[in-house]
Amino acid sequence: MPSRLSRRLLLANDDAWPAGHDATLAVVFLRGGADTLSLLPPHGDDRYFRSRPTLAVPSPGRGSRSAIRLDDHYGLHPDMAALEPAYREGRLAFVQGVGINNTSGSHFECQDQMEQGSSPDGPAVSGGWLGRFLRTLSERELGPLPAVAIGKSLPESLRGGPSASVFETLADVSLRGSAADLPVITATLARLYAAERTNLGRQGLQTLDLFRRVATLQPADSSSRRAGNYPESPFAAGLRQIADLIRADIGLRVACLDLPGWDTHFFQGATDGQQAALIEQLAGGLAAFETDMKSCPRRATVLVITEFGRRVYENASQGTDHGRGFAAMLLGENVAGGEVHGPWPLEEIADPTPAGPGGLAVDRDARGLFAEVLGHVFAADRTAVDGVFPGLNPQPAGLFRGNSRSTS
Amino acid sequence: MSPSRRRAIQTSLATGAAAVAGCDGLVSELGRQLGEAVPASLLAASGRTIDPDFHLLSRATYGPRPGDLARLRRQGPRAWLEDQLHPERIDDTACDLRAERFESLGFAPGDAYAFRRSVLRDELVRHALLRAIYSRRQLFELLVGFWSDHLNIDLGKGDCVFLKPADDREVIRRHALGRFAELIRASATSPAMLVYLDNAANKVRRGHADKPNENYARELLELHTLGVDGGYTQRDVTEAARCLTGWTFDAGRVFATDQNRAFFRADWHDDGEKLLLGHRIPAGGGPRDLDRLVEIVCSHPSTARHIAGKLCRRFVAADPPRALVESTAAVFTRTDGQIPAVLRNIFRSAEFADSRGLLLKRPLRFVVSALRAVAADTHARPPLLDALRRLGQPLFEHPTPDGYAQDEATWLGTLLWRWNLAFALAGGNLPTVTAPLEAIASSLAAASGDSGESQRAEGDKDHAFTRWFAHLIGRRPTRDEQTAFAPLLAAADQRREARQLGLILASPAFQRH
Repeated sequence: MPSRLSRRLLLANDDAWPAGHDATLAVVFLRGGADTLSLLPPHGDDRYFRSRPTLAVPSPGRGSRSAIRLDDHYGLHPDMAALEPAYREGRLAFVQGVGINNTSGSHFECQDQMEQGSSPDGPAVSGGWLGRFLRTLSERELGPLPAVAIGKSLPESLRGGPSASVFETLADVSLRGSAADLPVITATLARLYAAERTNLGRQGLQTLDLFRRVATLQPADSSSRRAGNYPESPFAAGLRQIADLIRADIGLRVACLDLPGWDTHFFQGATDGQQAALIEQLAGGLAAFETDMKSCPRRATVLVITEFGRRVYENASQGTDHGRGFAAMLLGENVAGGEVHGPWPLEEIADPTPAGPGGLAVDRDARGLFAEVLGHVFAADRTAVDGVFPGLNPQPAGLFRGNSRSTS
Repeated sequence: MSPSRRRAIQTSLATGAAAVAGCDGLVSELGRQLGEAVPASLLAASGRTIDPDFHLLSRATYGPRPGDLARLRRQGPRAWLEDQLHPERIDDTACDLRAERFESLGFAPGDAYAFRRSVLRDELVRHALLRAIYSRRQLFELLVGFWSDHLNIDLGKGDCVFLKPADDREVIRRHALGRFAELIRASATSPAMLVYLDNAANKVRRGHADKPNENYARELLELHTLGVDGGYTQRDVTEAARCLTGWTFDAGRVFATDQNRAFFRADWHDDGEKLLLGHRIPAGGGPRDLDRLVEIVCSHPSTARHIAGKLCRRFVAADPPRALVESTAAVFTRTDGQIPAVLRNIFRSAEFADSRGLLLKRPLRFVVSALRAVAADTHARPPLLDALRRLGQPLFEHPTPDGYAQDEATWLGTLLWRWNLAFALAGGNLPTVTAPLEAIASSLAAASGDSGESQRAEGDKDHAFTRWFAHLIGRRPTRDEQTAFAPLLAAADQRREARQLGLILASPAFQRH
């Protein structure tokens, strides 16, 4: 069987794959600066309601569209209901007060800095943090498709990484040609590349194997097999592609997916409106993905981030402006879920209309969060993490359960 | 009226019309009239191993176009190479019509800010791609690509995108086939490089505790000249950085005067004595410290070896024979870094002749060689640029100063996109790209071939297939390849030719050159 043959060609010896090989990290980027105060409303802090006369999510128990109570301090936006079981069962965690030391409030600058995993006062880095991590893996550890971005363009975070592919649907990961031609074409390619006793030949065979695996996942007959019930949205469709790729067991390590539209300066809406619709998409998609992945032996962890949070107070257009800290989300079997990690970082607002940014403080450098994710999801050792974030010296923050496999 | 005069008048009338109409189709038609058309009879080299003339074409150009092999045979490889080393002798009107249509690329650094980033990036890439495909000064374009990698500028950093057009014109293209030290000197004060590697912020002011910014100095030694094992020390990097202090560029466009070039600020310069790689640079040199620095590093023996090694890896083999690298380094030293002399040594060597088919094509070369081989007509519109991006080499976007990698492993992960491009091109399904495949097929059939070399191997059932294979690969198929293709040749349907061509373009043999 070609797949076993190509695997044997890859392994230098009879060891199992390196630790962390069976794990995939999916990074969901909420573009525009997501108001995580709405996803995770702090109903226990009265200042939240005072600052948001029209935008505050009603306290738990106040009507049918009120926050879902998590504890004395936090609730969930009602449209996050799909993820409530994951939270209660300990698979979903929030990490409060994440951000970067960039006060520009510029989407462009902050997205770049977040995705590069850099800092203005730190050592220069190049490309994206995920790209740098992939470069620490040896050729042996990288399959034919180690990293994908679902969409039209490669995100900054994957830049500089080997073999990161961009496509919109799985149909792109296939040989183009009429259906009648495909068997003879693949057979010819297989013979041609098998005759090569070189890296090129090996990659050719692996690529054909990739097509074969992906072809067995065509949407036509998989709807009955699919465990999760994916809602109708491009975001959910993207997550479904990622799930299919993970199930195809081709060694996918990193997948990136964007959910845009979070820059809600005008009429943000509390439990209705444009932001609520996005929240429902986010939660519905992630919940379906999670259910889908339960039946898959390969571990998938999802990290949800944004370039900055938004201000605590609402503006005159019943929206919010750019802030700083936000609550990141971690979803997976090994996540220390069912809690909100990190202190409640609300900055005191002395003047209700300050000139500068006023939102949640940044208590936790996003790079530290990324480092911990790499360490746990991929068992990346200290050297590798230091290569990705030079000079950072991150402290573990207990965001994952079980033994840390990263050496310190 | 002489043919050339007639052609000149035709061209000027048509250029005027094209300028008014701005029409891709008109430019394509003119190109055909100016020599881009497929010849009526196409010689294909069909020996058992790659034809030496084909090999020279496939290394010293981006890949042979229909007619190139016959022209090279008539001229002889030596004379052909000499022409390529003197690009000014080669008329490039047809390419200019296609490629010199991008307004933004003629602008000085300060003025380029008038354009949007996306427009500049787009025009830079299209210009580079079109010149690679259509220029007759192919070796020149290859060296432009080589030095663009060597002196990498990432358009994504800061304002580099506004500054790269000038760098492409004044640094890379001006010196690509010139003298190495002049290339480095121009690069050191290129606004794009000053911003990319931070030398614009490299200052040591009197009365301040400034430390020099060593970023450019380090890459100058590590990547651009001596090489990482070239034998310099951290102290040398610091001394180089001291030499470079004061050279800056008004990236913020704060001052009204002269925003178009780098300038030297004496009050930012560390004017003390420096000791660099064993050379003493006396105090008070001011801006001349940079000239001394360039002189010293470019004449260092490690630089000759480093550049010779890189060129051999680009043009000969991934692990080039030591003797060739050393002889090439010797030529570099003897000629004081004259690039044409260095290239002559490489292309005329026995090691070069022995290296047929050993190099993996990087994505740019894969795309361009395929387009050239089928005489494709394109104006580098988004579908083609997207394909190049999918393959991982979107041009001018490499994030690190070492430029797009030369090694194989980096590029093998995008085979699936190469295959799809191959089938799209062969099937006429690559939007905005057309290719005269039938014309080429009949021209191949019309040719009588070389004496002795066109003997077809026994067992060859499909002559058209063999001719296409030879046209694309420079030899006839091996026994293994014939076996692999055999089932295809038996088919009789309409799509057979497109399938065969697509498969040859997707085959391992076409991934190499």
